[in-house]
Amino acid sequence: MTTSRRDFLKQSAVVSTAAVVVGVSVNEDAEAITQNVEAGWRWDRGVCRFCGVGCGIQIATKKGKIVATKADVDAPVNRGLNCIKGYFNGKIPYGQDRLTQPLLRIKNGQFDKQGDFVAVSWERAFDEMEKQFKRHYQSLGPTGVGFFASGQHTVQEGYAAVKLFKAGFRSNNLDPNARHCMASAVAGFMQTFGIDEPAGNYDDIEHTDTMVLWGANMAEMHPVLWTRITDRRMSQPNVKVVNLTTVSNMSSNIADMEIIFKPQTDLAIMNYLAREIVTRDAVNWDFVNKHCAFAAGVTDIGYGMRGSDKFDYAAEKDTNAKELSMQLGSAEAIAQGKLAGATVAQKNRDTAGKHWLITFEDFKKGVEPYTLDFVAELAKGDADESLDAFKAKLKALADLYIEKSRKVVSFWTMGFNQHQRGTWVNEQAYMVHLLLGKQAMPGNGAFSLTGQPSACGTAREVGTFSHRLPADMVVDNADHRALAEKIWKLPANTLNPKIGSHFTKILRDLEDGQVKWAWVQVCNPFQDTANANHWIKAARELDNFIIVSDVYPDISTKVADLILPSAIIFEKWGAYGNAERRTQLWREQVPPPGQARSDIWQIMEFSKRFKLKEVWGEQKIPNLKETGYPDGKLPDVLTGSSYSPDATLYEVLFATADNRKFKWPDAIAKTHQNHTATLLGDHWFPEKALFEEYAQFGRGHAHDLADFDMYFRDDVRGLKWPVVNGKETHWRFNEAYDPYVKAGSGFSFYGKAFKSLPSGNLEGVTNPEKTNIADKAKIFFRPYAAPVEQPDEHYDMWLSTGRVLEHWHSGTMTRRVRELHWAVPAALIYMHPDDAKSRNLKREDVAWIESRRGKVKAIVETTGRNRPPKGTIFVPWFDEGVFINKVTLDATCPISKQTDFKKCAVKIYKA
Amino acid sequence: MRNHTVIALIGMGLMLGLTGIAAAAGIKANDTGLSKTSVFDVPTPIVYHYKADQAGSSKLLPRAYLGAPPQIPHDITDFLPITRDSNMCVSCHDQKEQWGQKRATGTPTPIPASHYTDLRNAPSKVTDQLIGARYNCNQCHVPQTDAPALVINMFK
Repeated sequence: MTTSRRDFLKQSAVVSTAAVVVGVSVNEDAEAITQNVEAGWRWDRGVCRFCGVGCGIQIATKKGKIVATKADVDAPVNRGLNCIKGYFNGKIPYGQDRLTQPLLRIKNGQFDKQGDFVAVSWERAFDEMEKQFKRHYQSLGPTGVGFFASGQHTVQEGYAAVKLFKAGFRSNNLDPNARHCMASAVAGFMQTFGIDEPAGNYDDIEHTDTMVLWGANMAEMHPVLWTRITDRRMSQPNVKVVNLTTVSNMSSNIADMEIIFKPQTDLAIMNYLAREIVTRDAVNWDFVNKHCAFAAGVTDIGYGMRGSDKFDYAAEKDTNAKELSMQLGSAEAIAQGKLAGATVAQKNRDTAGKHWLITFEDFKKGVEPYTLDFVAELAKGDADESLDAFKAKLKALADLYIEKSRKVVSFWTMGFNQHQRGTWVNEQAYMVHLLLGKQAMPGNGAFSLTGQPSACGTAREVGTFSHRLPADMVVDNADHRALAEKIWKLPANTLNPKIGSHFTKILRDLEDGQVKWAWVQVCNPFQDTANANHWIKAARELDNFIIVSDVYPDISTKVADLILPSAIIFEKWGAYGNAERRTQLWREQVPPPGQARSDIWQIMEFSKRFKLKEVWGEQKIPNLKETGYPDGKLPDVLTGSSYSPDATLYEVLFATADNRKFKWPDAIAKTHQNHTATLLGDHWFPEKALFEEYAQFGRGHAHDLADFDMYFRDDVRGLKWPVVNGKETHWRFNEAYDPYVKAGSGFSFYGKAFKSLPSGNLEGVTNPEKTNIADKAKIFFRPYAAPVEQPDEHYDMWLSTGRVLEHWHSGTMTRRVRELHWAVPAALIYMHPDDAKSRNLKREDVAWIESRRGKVKAIVETTGRNRPPKGTIFVPWFDEGVFINKVTLDATCPISKQTDFKKCAVKIYKA
Repeated sequence: MRNHTVIALIGMGLMLGLTGIAAAAGIKANDTGLSKTSVFDVPTPIVYHYKADQAGSSKLLPRAYLGAPPQIPHDITDFLPITRDSNMCVSCHDQKEQWGQKRATGTPTPIPASHYTDLRNAPSKVTDQLIGARYNCNQCHVPQTDAPALVINMFK
């Protein structure tokens, strides 16, 4: 490399990241070189493909290819910065093994599960998909089919999938991979506030004095927010950062205090904080009396496992038996005010969310056992730390929260959400902030971060969960179904009132033979779901048909029967919604390669193959009992309706008269194409029409989106909903910012769900008469509960899993970018050097990681970015070669059904 | 440059475009994906190493595209972690006086002016201080290992 080349690079860094946009003076030659290289480039804005932060980017294209990207200096989220992944958005479409043709397993000219993949036409692919669908749908009904949706689906794709499945096929077996990442957050929001998603926004970072991370390694998982936190910490000495975690990690390097706790004892630490707030007389009574109510719920709720040993491996049986009945350990007994060793039948497994109002006196009684001595003894996670040092940290943490003039933001992600009591621990974060009156104001609040780019925008807001409809509505509420049926122009009782199977349950259903046809889009369920040996075997060896729409081959395409080649983000129009309620839209930048097509085109093309008479007649739904429905059945809704039995689902759900009013081409496209509209060939603009149709659900209901075109305005970089009269909402529930809060009320937690409740004490309901707590948030007492599986003499270490900075999820995109692959080529076993030594292992040895469920091999690492305490290992899950989900446990939070990927017991030994 | 070409060629040998073989015979699932093995198998991982070149003796790595953050071409084992109190990257690369100068071989690449500009609060002013938002160097700049490429990337 010559000197002049090096100089050019050096100068171009200045030019491209700052100077051109912000007018920093630069060497004229460098500017000339840049202009020369950029000749013929078209710049347009987009959003990063990866995490839930939702950074704005600018994309340069030339001759139908992406040639560069850069961080958008005008995006308020990231102001000209990306993380290392974000800088490689432009490379992710170009891996050489990109899927460009449908591939079907064929033997002797026929579809055969044992066949090899053969390239087929889209026509042939849809023929087989339709044939298999109809075979299984006719024999099993709507519960016999499933759809694995995604927090990386665009808003419009998720909406189309919901409509096809729920309105068309009348099946609620549609659930997103966001179940694995956000479900506990959702349940926490719904039970506490009656409405989903955070009050605050990322500007809280610049407004606050204190940031407490609870199970959120933001330095790796939310890197651009971490740049904002670092900036704030480095420039303001008064600002404090605390990192609570079970594994010492990169976020600790900037933090003022690191607290290493034992898995699941965050529940106890939270109650210690509540107890301190109460004992120190620090409750903000003015706030609490006006805006809050106290609540408690059932505790015998199981661990979200099957509750049957029919499919268990022999080694799994002891852990799984605890699902029905377990013995209280000593700490758990103290924490719950019960007798140690008592056997507790888990009677509320199916009613885990049941809760009621209690008095403050009962709340106080609940937190009473959580003294500093008790909690420190239980929670101290690092054997090398002294009890006194740990106690001092807990006390310092309480001091920071309680200091009256100090603003505090608590952040969390998977440490709380992937948790056997994930809903509880989310609620405890609100408990602390509500008691202090430090919620829903600039720089003060409990802030649930999100993992995926549209976990909020699509999975949650559109409602691609098995119990949801758009705008926080649910399928088991008759009023919500009626409203959805009205907007969708469906005959009454078309929608299925019975909640469908959640993500992990669809996989269990495949193993049971209850689901025999499943479609995967924008996710990798066979790699990302815990206890994977069961599910890959079910997919490969049973009579079922699995379709995987993807851009690259991965574990899920390997077990698929049919692979459909998808367009990647910049090859289609779309919208994502990030963790601060910001909805961001983008245009199609380049055409998809070969025969690859957008997921929304795939959904709509498939819908053309169904006539109403095939889906809207009487359908069996096992165990359905619902007012207005025959037992075990959905009624025939076609007879007597205004629809023709021969109308297709495409005409009735998608290309409706209303939607066809949105014409393609559209001026908003400027010079950009739309391969979906062009291929459909009927001159409408599906992404715009579906966005506007979807927005009807939220407008006027505190979920207001702006109109489609507004998001493309030059001065707009996404908008935080609710967007009312063209104005976004920065802080919800706060009169100063939120138009939905009544004048004079100060704050209003106006969500409507779960606001009418019976009353009782810590033990249960004593007065079934319901009290309405409209506009109030709940302060829950939730006790400590021990993890269902803990290290013992056979499996003697904790396993925690997670992501790494350099790779996105299962690595299918980022591992095909050589700079990222070379940075982190494989998942390692991060372990304490003493644990390695006692197992006769050293750095770079290959070791087995084995649990009751499966085993994999990986390389031992005893230094580096993660430094687990003795007794714990951390293994990232991005690497399909270290298929760690063969080892993990599929226990879930019983309320949210989100899997706990953070704790199970394993043994490590030399390979 | 040479390194990268060599690895690209090795990768080319290993990889077969899926579409290419599709036309002839069927593609075996086990031949696809990033680990060419059955989903039921447990592959043995390969040990890889970060570049051992010491700071000052390494060659710049090719930029991925105009504006991409440069990768770290030298060993950083002893320079990590970056903490609030210690940032060994900055102690060498903070070289404002080198902006616009021709540099001698073996001298550190100066952190550019953009990193001294607070894009959030004062986007038109280059300051004397590295901006806090740029403090965690390894959020954007990463070292590289000797691992074999898994798949060729056709981005140009």
